[in-house]
Amino acid sequence: MVRFGNKDLAKYPFLKEAFSYITKYDFKLEDLDSKDYLHLIDKAAEKIENYLFFGRFEYQINYSKTHETIVQEEVIIFLISLLLIKSISIDVVTKKFALMESMRFEKYLISDLNTADRDDKTIKLILYKIFEDLFSTKILLEVDVYNFYKIRINDYLDHPIAFQEKEWNLINRTLHNGFVYLDGSEIVRLFRNELYLLIIDRIKKMSITRIPDTIMAISKSIKSRWEQIHHSINAPVSNAVTPPCIQHIYDQISKGENLPHPARLLLGTFLIYSNKTLEEMLELFKRLPDFDEKITRYQLEHLAGKRGNSKRYFVPSCEKIKLENLCYETRICQGISNPTQLIRKKSGI
Amino acid sequence: MSDTLSFDSNNSGKNGKHGSKYQNAEPDDKNKNWLEGIFRKYYFYHYSQLELGELINEHEFGFRLFDGKIRRHLAFNDKKELYAYIIKFSPSDIFYSSSRYQSPTAEIDQKGWIGSDLIFDIDGKDLHLECAQSHNLVLCKDCSFISKGIISKCVGCNSTRLQIIDIPCARCIKSLNVEVKKLVEILDDDFGIDSECIFVYFSGNNGYHVHVVDKNFYNASAKKRNAFAQYLMGKGYLIESLGIRRNNEGVLIPMSNKILYNQGWRRRIFDSIHLPIQNHKIDDKFVKKYNRMQDANNNNIQDIINTHILDLSAKIDPNVTMDIHRIFRLSGSINSKSGLIKAFCKDLDSFNPFVDACFIGDSNVEIESKLNIKISLKGKQFSIKPGKNTLPEYVAAYMICKGIGDIQNQT
Ligand SMILES: [Zn+2]
Ligand SMILES: [Zn+2]
Repeated sequence: MVRFGNKDLAKYPFLKEAFSYITKYDFKLEDLDSKDYLHLIDKAAEKIENYLFFGRFEYQINYSKTHETIVQEEVIIFLISLLLIKSISIDVVTKKFALMESMRFEKYLISDLNTADRDDKTIKLILYKIFEDLFSTKILLEVDVYNFYKIRINDYLDHPIAFQEKEWNLINRTLHNGFVYLDGSEIVRLFRNELYLLIIDRIKKMSITRIPDTIMAISKSIKSRWEQIHHSINAPVSNAVTPPCIQHIYDQISKGENLPHPARLLLGTFLIYSNKTLEEMLELFKRLPDFDEKITRYQLEHLAGKRGNSKRYFVPSCEKIKLENLCYETRICQGISNPTQLIRKKSGI
Repeated sequence: MSDTLSFDSNNSGKNGKHGSKYQNAEPDDKNKNWLEGIFRKYYFYHYSQLELGELINEHEFGFRLFDGKIRRHLAFNDKKELYAYIIKFSPSDIFYSSSRYQSPTAEIDQKGWIGSDLIFDIDGKDLHLECAQSHNLVLCKDCSFISKGIISKCVGCNSTRLQIIDIPCARCIKSLNVEVKKLVEILDDDFGIDSECIFVYFSGNNGYHVHVVDKNFYNASAKKRNAFAQYLMGKGYLIESLGIRRNNEGVLIPMSNKILYNQGWRRRIFDSIHLPIQNHKIDDKFVKKYNRMQDANNNNIQDIINTHILDLSAKIDPNVTMDIHRIFRLSGSINSKSGLIKAFCKDLDSFNPFVDACFIGDSNVEIESKLNIKISLKGKQFSIKPGKNTLPEYVAAYMICKGIGDIQNQT
């Protein structure tokens, strides 16, 4: 078994090795009722509130302690977070949490990969460990070529992103001798989705007989605050005909799923075409797990042609939508080449 | 695609396009009967030409018979069983799945797919060669008139129901070879597939099938195979992958600080447009040369790159590569569109399909030609005049398969 002798493990509390730091002291969930853990519970609650209500992951690991304590605390905070999310038990919340948390870990990984001295064995071990154990993918370091990482073509294509985003399609990757070559930040990005699914899985698989009272109280308050803000979703297009591709996006949003970039573009241009106000559009995008108001506002204005000298973007054609795998054609789509034609068709224009 | 059968080609609906020309023939159709005999004779004497792997019982077989019927989802326990079937039915075409199945005779979703070699199909028709315009023929489906060259309406009856009869020439084969070599090179350089694992076959008419036997790709799903095909065709290449991006005004800017490992498509394109990239980074020299090139081409660098990609990519049929349930012409069997066999090409440069894939006998027969044509087979040139000609069986078989000649009464 790999031995991690340093505080880097604190950044990756989902690893078995990190977990062993608390099991060897016989930590039990009931212990969380004790006052000794209050500061960790508070820290977990604050993190979750930042994720859910502000879309921010401004989280700081407290490094002013012994290595051992740092790792222990981070593992416990991670566990408390999972407990809180489990007891809130709202699907959308779980997904949003998992996405934000995976993005946080991703950030650590990227900085470790890009800044660490490549001879630092520990970082490499952590990486190989994560990739091999959690995602059963073997990554190799190509020392001869600028420290690129490489992964077998077949393994690469097991990652959904290879099919979802153009830039990640095989054609736009560097292939050589049976391997896909990736730099540090790319290889981590490749695993974002897997990290996300892993966290969801951990939450689902958690079986707890009794949730400590302190935790229960916090989860109840977060839950009611969430419910106040998010009442049930209504498709903002009042017209009776919603093109099936757009409906599918609404359904995905309702389920708390994240949208790939082309789907956002389709939804944005479609809403602009339907004369929705910026506020109305933001109301919808707010439900995306990685929502960031500033960025979304900027992007929507850009699409509408209201930024700089940018030109207005139009709703993509059915052909384009099909290419992006976003088409969910039904009978009503017969004879159209752009989803906007459905609106005109029904309203008789 | 008629050198393979896809899953839905089971019904006769498609036969109008690809099927046997004998499907509506009378039982005593002279051409059909003669050809059936010739094929049977070939299989009787040249059975060992059929290339069958060890696990014959795990593959699906399919046959097209001389009456146009297609039989699919068949399996044989051993070579003897297959041999008996072929001699009994004398099929016009024999197909064999590249996939192995737990039960090859079951319905498609019940077969229990085990895996499949990677297969690439390069068809002369998809190359749109200039020479093809001069030597291909067009058959009118209404009045059966045959014209030379490319026409949009029948000269005899003005019908637009036309069918191209391809009569590939040596130049066509050369162009196909170029495509095969491009494919093999990308497979080798980018996919790391050893040339010993790549098997090239002449399809028997106007194309090549390239089989990759590599355990790394044997289990790849249809979705992955499609990604391979898109890669080989250079479809969807973004200029950003070359380290060039477009700014807000649409001006292209080289990204000079990124390390661009110069391999794969990037290397191929940079080499082809003669843009130097040193130490896997875009340097001043590159930017200078790049700007000059951009000025000279009115900023239309995207078009230039697309042209180069078109030139460098392999012209494969992506549907064939991604369809894991397709059945392919069996190597060593006769292609009823030409009378030539699908043949393994040990060395592409020295392989001559008009010699090395021609296995029909050479006793003379009388044949009535519908037109004036030159045919070169087994290293001999034949100048054929309209009307009666005395020709070797292999030339007669070629003409009947192409639908340009009729066999005369045998004595
Ligand atoms: Zn005609
Ligand atoms: Zn030609």
